[in-house]
Amino acid sequence: MKKYLILQKNIQDKMREKATTLYLGPQHPGITGNMMVRLKVEGDTIVKATTEVGYLHRAFEKLQEKRNWLQSFTLLCRFCVPEPDPVEESYARAVELLEGREVPERAKYIRVLMLELARLGSYMLWYGGQNGSLGLYTMGQWSVGDRNYILDLFEELTGGRIYHMYIWPGGVRRDFPEGFEDKVLRTMDYLEKRVKDYDDLMFDNAIFQKRTQGVGIIPKEKAVEWGVVGPVLRGCGIRSDIRIDDPYEVYDKLDFEVPTAEGGDIWARALVRRQEVRQSIKIIRQVIEKIPSGDYYNPIPNPQKWTLPKGDAYARTEAVRGEVGIFIASDGGTKPRRVHFRGAAYVHGITLLENLLVGENVADVSAIMNSLGTCPPEIER
Amino acid sequence: MINDKNSQKIVDFIQNWARKHSIWVLAYGTGCGAIEIPPTMTSRYDAERLGVRGAATPRQADVLLITGYLTTKTLKRVIRVYEQMQDPKYVIGFGSCTINGGMYYDSYNTIKVLDKYLPVDVYINGCMPRPEAVLSGFAKLQELIAQGKANGAQKYKDNLDWYRENQKKIIPNWVMPEYNW
Amino acid sequence: MDELKTKIIERIKANFQDATENNSFNYNRLDFNVNKTTVPSILFYLKDEMGFKHLSHITCVDWLEEGELELIFIVWSPVDKIKVFVRTRLDRENPVMDNIDMIWRQAHTYEREFREMFGIQFTGLEAPQDFLLEDWDGPPPMRRDFHTEEYASETFFERPGREDAGDVREEIIKRSGEEIPDFAKKYSR
Repeated sequence: MKKYLILQKNIQDKMREKATTLYLGPQHPGITGNMMVRLKVEGDTIVKATTEVGYLHRAFEKLQEKRNWLQSFTLLCRFCVPEPDPVEESYARAVELLEGREVPERAKYIRVLMLELARLGSYMLWYGGQNGSLGLYTMGQWSVGDRNYILDLFEELTGGRIYHMYIWPGGVRRDFPEGFEDKVLRTMDYLEKRVKDYDDLMFDNAIFQKRTQGVGIIPKEKAVEWGVVGPVLRGCGIRSDIRIDDPYEVYDKLDFEVPTAEGGDIWARALVRRQEVRQSIKIIRQVIEKIPSGDYYNPIPNPQKWTLPKGDAYARTEAVRGEVGIFIASDGGTKPRRVHFRGAAYVHGITLLENLLVGENVADVSAIMNSLGTCPPEIER
Repeated sequence: MINDKNSQKIVDFIQNWARKHSIWVLAYGTGCGAIEIPPTMTSRYDAERLGVRGAATPRQADVLLITGYLTTKTLKRVIRVYEQMQDPKYVIGFGSCTINGGMYYDSYNTIKVLDKYLPVDVYINGCMPRPEAVLSGFAKLQELIAQGKANGAQKYKDNLDWYRENQKKIIPNWVMPEYNW
Repeated sequence: MDELKTKIIERIKANFQDATENNSFNYNRLDFNVNKTTVPSILFYLKDEMGFKHLSHITCVDWLEEGELELIFIVWSPVDKIKVFVRTRLDRENPVMDNIDMIWRQAHTYEREFREMFGIQFTGLEAPQDFLLEDWDGPPPMRRDFHTEEYASETFFERPGREDAGDVREEIIKRSGEEIPDFAKKYSR
C-alpha cells in the first residue's frame, strides 16, 4: 500500500508537465508519402506542430545537372507520384519558352487532355485518401478501383500506367492510337455516372459533414499572402486559377468554370474538388470535340548535342494540389545549369500546415493534411 | 513426441501453410512505389484474396515492403522497423532502385543495393512494377514460405555483425537500441 | 501589357536607384537586377504598394565560374496578372543575405533549404540546422563543385555488373547463358 502511494505521488508530479509530444509519421501519416509531424498536445488539442521532412530526398535537381535536357524527363515525373503530368508539361513549356520553339496546335490539345486525365486520376486518389483519413474506407475501394480505367487510357496512349514521359519539348511523343477518342468518351460517361454515386456516399454522409465542417479554417484575407494556391485557395472563396489567370496551352479556347466555395474549411475544399471533377470531364469532352488534325510533334535536334540559349525561364501549371512551376537556367550547354521545382506542397505542407494545426484536434490532423494536398515527395524532391 | 523427425515435418508443413495464407504487409510506403499498392489492394486486383492485407504497426506485420528507393534518412527508420517486427518476417524489395539504384544510381542520398543492409527474400523489378507484378511477387513469396526457404530473418540473425557494419557505414550517428537475440 | 510594364519600371526606378530592368520578354514577365541590400525593401514595396501579393518562387543558381550565387525572387500579381523577377548576386565564398520571412512567411522554408543546400547564411533566421539531410558533414550538396557521382560510388555499395550504362541483356547472357529472343535483338544497343 505504501509503495502504491509513492507511485501515485510520482505520477502526479510528472503530470504537472501537461503537454505531451506525439509523433505522427514518418510511417504513413495518411498522405501520399512519408513525413513527420511532431505534435505538442494538451489533452487532445494541439498547441504546437513542427514538421520534419527529408525522408524522400533524392536530389533530383542535382541529378538533372548531370543529365541532358531530354534525359531529365525520367526524373521529372517522379517529383509528385499521383499526378506526374503537370510537372512534365511545365518543364517542356519552360524549355520551349527559353528556346522559342513552336508547338503544333494538335499537340497542345493532346497535352490538355493528358493534364485533365491526370487531374481526374489524382482526384480519384484524393477521394479515397480524404475519406480514408476519416475512417470511411468504402470510398477508397470505389474510387481507386475506378481510377484504373483512367490509368488504362494512359497505358494505351503512353505505354505507362503511372509515369508517362509523354509530353516532350516540341509536342508529345506519339499520336492517338486508333479508336482512342471513343474510349476516352466512354470512360467519361462511366465516370460521370460514378461521381453521382460518390456524392451520395461522401457528401450526404453525416459523419463526413460533421468531421469536415469548420475544421482547418484558412482566413480569406490572409490566404494569398500565406502562399495558398489551387483548390485550397478557391475553397476560401477566391477565384484564382492559373488556367485562367496565366493561360497556357489552349485553355483560353476552352469553356469551363472555376468553382469556388466559401468557408475555407475542409468541407469547402471538398466542394470545390467535387465541382472540379465535373469541369475536368467537361474539358475532356471539348478537347475530343475540337481537336484539330495535323502534326503532333515539332522535332528536336539530336538530344546529345542539343543546346539551349543562355538565359532562364519559369513556367507554371495548375495541378491538383495547386500551382506547380519549373525554373530552368541554362548556360548555353547541353545540360541544365539549374532546374528548380516549385510545388504547392512546399508551402502547404510546411508553413501553412504548422500554423493551421494549432488549436485543432489530434484526430483531424491527417484529414487536414489530406485536404491541403500535402505531397512529401514534392517538398523534398 | 515433437523430437520425432516425421512429426517435426508435419508441424513445419502446417506452420508454413498457415503463414503462407496470412501475409500482413506493413503500411510503410518508403518510396514512390507505394502508389501501386492502393490499386493492388482495391477492387480490380484485390490482393486480399491471397491473404495480403495492410497492418498498421510493425509488431503485427509479417512483410516489410520496401517500395522503391531508400534515402539514408529513411534507412535508419526502416532498420528500426525491421528489428521491431516479430518472427516470422520477410522483406520484399520493390522496384529497380532497391536492386541496383535504378535511376538514382548517382544520387548522394539514396542507397543502391538493399540486400547489403537488410535480408531480402523476394525482389520485384520494374519501375514501377505493375499490380500484376506485385501479385506475382507475393505469390513467389508464398511459394518460398511453403517450401521453408524464406529464411531471411534467420540470415539476419546469423550475420548480424556484417549487416551492422554495413549499416553503420551509412549511418554514422547510431543512436538506435542494440537488440540482442 | 507593354503599358503596364513601363508603368511598373517607372515606379520601381523612381524608388530604387540601383534597380536595372530587363524588359526583353514578350510575355508577362519583367526582370529587375538589384543589390542584395535592396532586396527586402523592394520586395516590401512590390508586395504592399504594387499588389504583388503572391510569392511564387525563390530560387538560387550557382555560377561557379564567376564565383557568385544568384538569388531570384519571383512574385506574381493576382490583379495585374504579371510576374516580376527580382534578381541579386551574392559572393560565393561568403554568401550572406537578409532574412525576408517577415514579408512572406513561406520564405522561411526556402531559406532553410538554401542554407543547407548552398550554404547561404540568412541573418536572423531561426530554425533547426537540419532540413532535408540528416548527419550531413560534407560540403553543401547543391553547389556545383560537389560531385554527387563520386560521392555515391565511394559511400554506397554497387551491384556488380552494373558499373557502366551498358545493355543489361549482355550481362544476363554472360551470367546465365540465356539467349536473347530475336524480337528483342533489334532493340539492343
